[in-house]
Amino acid sequence: MLDECKKGATVEGPRDPSRRHALRYCAMAATAMLAGSAKALAHPQPGQRRDSDTSSDRKVNRLDKDVRLVHSVCLGCNARCGNRVVVRDGRLVDVTGNPYHPYNTMGRPVDYATPVLKSIPLSASVCGKAKDVPNYVYNPYRILRPLKRAGKRGSGRFEPIEWDQLINEITFGGQTFRHLGEKRRVPGLLDLDSDAPMDPSAPELGPARNGFIFMTGRLQPGRKAFIDRFVKGAMGSINRIGHTDICGLGFRMGNYAFTEGRQVELKADPWKADYILVFGANIYAALQPGVNTYGAIVSKRHSQGRLHFTIVDPRAQEAVVHADRWIPIRPGQDGAFAMGMIRWIIEHEAYNLDYLAAPNQGAARALGNNAYSNATHLVITDPTHPGRGRFLRMRDMDPGAKGEQAEAFIVLSRKGHQPVSFQHVEAAMLDVATEVACSQYGRIKVKTAFRLMKEGVMEHSLDEYARLAGVDRSTIEDTARQFTSYGQRAAVCQYHGAGNYVGGTYAAYAIACLNALVGNVERKGGYMSSGGAVSKWKEGAYDLLDFPGRRRPKGVRISREKAWYEASSEYKKKRAGGSTGYPAKRPWFSFTKGGLSVETLAGIDEGYPYPCKILFTYFFNPLYSIPGGYRFKETLADTRKVPLHVSIDIGVNESNLYADYIVPDVTYAEGQYGWLPPHAPAFRFTGIRTPCIEPLTGRTGDGRPFCLETFLIDIARASGLPGFGKGVIHGHDGHTHDLIRAEDFYLRGFANIALNANIPRASRQEQAFVEKNYPVARFKRMLPVRIWKRICYMLARGGIFKDYEEVFEGSRFRYGVHKVALYNERLAATKDPFDGSLLPGTLKLIPPNGPRNGSDNQDEDYPFYLVTHKMNVHTQSRTVWHKWAMEIFPENFVVMNEEDAAKLGIGNGDMVRLISRGNPEGINGRAKIGRLVRKGCIAVSFHYGHTQLGASRLKISGGDRVFLGGKQVFEGDYLLPDPALAAGLNPNQVSDLDVAMMHTPMIDPVGGIPDFSTTRVKILKVDQ
Amino acid sequence: MLGMTQPVSLAVSSVERPPLWTMVIDLNRCMGCQSCVIACKARSRAGSGVFYTRLVERRSERLPEPKRFFLPVLCNHCKSPRCASACPSDAITKLENGIVMVDHARCTGSGKCVSACPFGAIQLDPFRGNKAYKCDFCLERVEAGLMPACVEACPSQARLFGDLNRPQGEFAAYIRHRMPRSAGKLGPRIIYIKLEDKTGSLPNVG
Repeated sequence: MLDECKKGATVEGPRDPSRRHALRYCAMAATAMLAGSAKALAHPQPGQRRDSDTSSDRKVNRLDKDVRLVHSVCLGCNARCGNRVVVRDGRLVDVTGNPYHPYNTMGRPVDYATPVLKSIPLSASVCGKAKDVPNYVYNPYRILRPLKRAGKRGSGRFEPIEWDQLINEITFGGQTFRHLGEKRRVPGLLDLDSDAPMDPSAPELGPARNGFIFMTGRLQPGRKAFIDRFVKGAMGSINRIGHTDICGLGFRMGNYAFTEGRQVELKADPWKADYILVFGANIYAALQPGVNTYGAIVSKRHSQGRLHFTIVDPRAQEAVVHADRWIPIRPGQDGAFAMGMIRWIIEHEAYNLDYLAAPNQGAARALGNNAYSNATHLVITDPTHPGRGRFLRMRDMDPGAKGEQAEAFIVLSRKGHQPVSFQHVEAAMLDVATEVACSQYGRIKVKTAFRLMKEGVMEHSLDEYARLAGVDRSTIEDTARQFTSYGQRAAVCQYHGAGNYVGGTYAAYAIACLNALVGNVERKGGYMSSGGAVSKWKEGAYDLLDFPGRRRPKGVRISREKAWYEASSEYKKKRAGGSTGYPAKRPWFSFTKGGLSVETLAGIDEGYPYPCKILFTYFFNPLYSIPGGYRFKETLADTRKVPLHVSIDIGVNESNLYADYIVPDVTYAEGQYGWLPPHAPAFRFTGIRTPCIEPLTGRTGDGRPFCLETFLIDIARASGLPGFGKGVIHGHDGHTHDLIRAEDFYLRGFANIALNANIPRASRQEQAFVEKNYPVARFKRMLPVRIWKRICYMLARGGIFKDYEEVFEGSRFRYGVHKVALYNERLAATKDPFDGSLLPGTLKLIPPNGPRNGSDNQDEDYPFYLVTHKMNVHTQSRTVWHKWAMEIFPENFVVMNEEDAAKLGIGNGDMVRLISRGNPEGINGRAKIGRLVRKGCIAVSFHYGHTQLGASRLKISGGDRVFLGGKQVFEGDYLLPDPALAAGLNPNQVSDLDVAMMHTPMIDPVGGIPDFSTTRVKILKVDQ
Repeated sequence: MLGMTQPVSLAVSSVERPPLWTMVIDLNRCMGCQSCVIACKARSRAGSGVFYTRLVERRSERLPEPKRFFLPVLCNHCKSPRCASACPSDAITKLENGIVMVDHARCTGSGKCVSACPFGAIQLDPFRGNKAYKCDFCLERVEAGLMPACVEACPSQARLFGDLNRPQGEFAAYIRHRMPRSAGKLGPRIIYIKLEDKTGSLPNVG
């Protein structure tokens, strides 16, 4: 009913404002068109009085004559909404949404072909994080020039350093801190430019190059390509390591197992689902796509009665205001809840039999599905067979089978129950344990993947699952019933809360499997991947990947991710000495998505499996952002563990306080070029981030801004590394091009994207729009005019965007994965790093607290679970500079249940102290009492409790030339702190540490997942 | 397409009959995301602590399961504004287009309007001469054909805005089908759509 009316909104009319903007934004004078403009309305009607005080601030909007408009991509968080940035007098003054971008329009942008000048009056939304960007970009605590340490590590003493000296010292090393009494020789990058093995007794660890470790915080496509070119291609180190682990590795591990590593991010499609079951996804505050997209469409469709949803979360997140039901689950027990549901679904045969019985992609397609499951594939379970635990294959039955046929999985036909290739039938037996004739071993025992999953699930009763999850049995039953009542249009949305704890791999795997049971994978309204980028950046007109002398990294990452302990010299030596080889000193993670920042720092701390020589950190604040990150203060403070630490960032944070050098970077308003594909679910696009304003940082002698790219280019050239400098980019036309500045790389990436996507050339008007408004147009002569015109078409719209419907054929998703696994044979072949036992290949209840975290009396001594979360106005660690967000929420709270508070005699606003085994001193915060969290739990948000980024006094001689605020934030040699930036508390400061493993942060031993949900604390009231 | 609306601009009205600007706020769509509040700050540049619009988080005490919801609060642009009658310097007027305006050349900062407003929607801004400031429906934007800042920023279209004399699009649908029968004694230009009963409960499990 309402829908019919929605189409009525008009863009054009007798007073079509877009015609006026055509003039303003193109500087093509045609004043006649201004006649009859809307100004007539601006005159007050007789008898009306306006604000006649002309002294009040002038309000700026995007239709003003004297502003520039740039379409770009936000980085208030990683959700990748579009931005329409308003710039006046070179200053960023406002941000609104990009109407071409699906993420600013609840998935329904304006037609891509719409001329850009017609789009300007159109509304498109952004969230508060985007709106706050002027306060971030112009924050007085931003650094604009390089700093060098001028006291002990962590003392907070720095001094400005000239760019050329910075490049020299980091390239060549030397006794660069002798004046501080450090006699050691600090290594330079050139010291590590060697192919000699790091450890001749363990050559598998790789060359000396791997002593160079580059950790990335907020990294996105674009800069990722640039950094990889430097770290991997030029330096040849394998250690470019992200922070996926603290971002949210738990749910990703579940999907990694579910999709056999093909895709880690899948979510319920909010545009077409009838029902969404939310596990630990903060849909009205965080998520990717964010509140501006995912939350918005959920809320709107729910208000129209088109969508129902349930929230499973210990905390009453904002979305409970609309949810059909909130289920306050016990932290860490999402897996138990999901397995209880699966048990109910199996017992009531409420699963989608047709979907599960389809054994191959053709069969799935015949049913209108994109992805089939391996539910019917037979697994060897016979203890006498050496292949026990893996799938039965044609070669096991027919030694003569060749090539692809030999590897074919085996299923049991429905007719005659014969073992046949999975490719040969449209449907197969689902729930079977039987024996089949095997060429070498006679008759052997086999079971279907479904049967093995079922056995894992049936190990516990529904009552047991309900008890663990801390809910009534009927809650699990009702949820399972509802989930299976919408055909293929019910799906799970799991995110960071689902599995970000020890044991999270199996919890999130169980949640993912719920989707296979209703057959919704890669379907409209189901559990979906993203449609990916529109086209490739690395090849086409320019080869941005390969270059002469490019290195191929070898060896083992210091985090031991994607490496096999059983292949290490350490293991072989132990075995040769007669031991079992277990346990490893620290876990190795052969079965993981990777991006293990916590294990990287733990590896650096222990020098395991080899020592770190040089650490670079980019846009990263691990001491603040890692649960238990405080443990690594001593690591970063120790010059033996980290001989050289260079940070590239926009300010002095809690972590780079320990750095030797801080290289200033630009913000996303000034640079941070990027080509940004969508997150799951659905959609296919490439958003383009370009600068909106000129960089505020200092400049090199030849006029390049101080930033990540200029820094890496200059140290690469000073070190003589390949891939940077003269003639290193090969064009398809046979010419070579230089890589001297950031634009040399990114503009050619834009060229590849635009040409590979075959978008039209911009009209003269749109080209003029880009050239007048976009700072990047200054570099247009790098490219042939014909290419530049295509880039203009893309830049004018902020990227290349496809419609929602374009990624579907009927209900079948055209992209995403083609197969999902109820049994994962690679997981089944993975060994526990502590005792060498094989891990379960399918669902299994794994307690969220491993024994290494155990304490006999934890219920009495540390009675509360601490759960953590993001807020709607913040991103993780850096939005403390968002002034308006801080005005709305000046501090965060210890959110408690009213019954718990009453027992402890704690009132609203009382100061309380949280104490854990990891941090016996504890941290203080104010209590907020209510029903917003489950009994026995407390919830504390991130973003607050900073000690740096302007929260502390630092001694920096000459710092007024370094900080954007200049003398406003300096008193002599001292940086003046703003106490408002120190408000509140950071829950990561009290997270549990692993008592059995060097007191480093808790880690799931399968995937390397840090623990955000199961820290236990006690609460003391603080007398004031 | 289901549940989706393409981007819109504000259709500028003709001059024959003046517009009557009106806002609809559907609590069934408000996510409490604060986007409107920050968008308003960005546009108004109001001093620290001064907000033309806020989100009030409410908990109704209907035991055993209290409910949680978000309530956007702003100037209701009343038909007979109490702030205007309270103002000793006649600085507040109701315009024909429905908007209640403060003339800052006349405002003396007496603060009488602040206590008169039943919605707490008007404040003295210590950073701007301690004069009274409040929502003006972003009049300069509306006249240029743009939505008010809070409406444009609302991701879920919980805030809808238009001319009551010529309603268009989804705003018109709300006016036709969802408009409460009584607009209240004050005749406000903000129409709230109440939260559906079923949602928002806060069970106490543990």
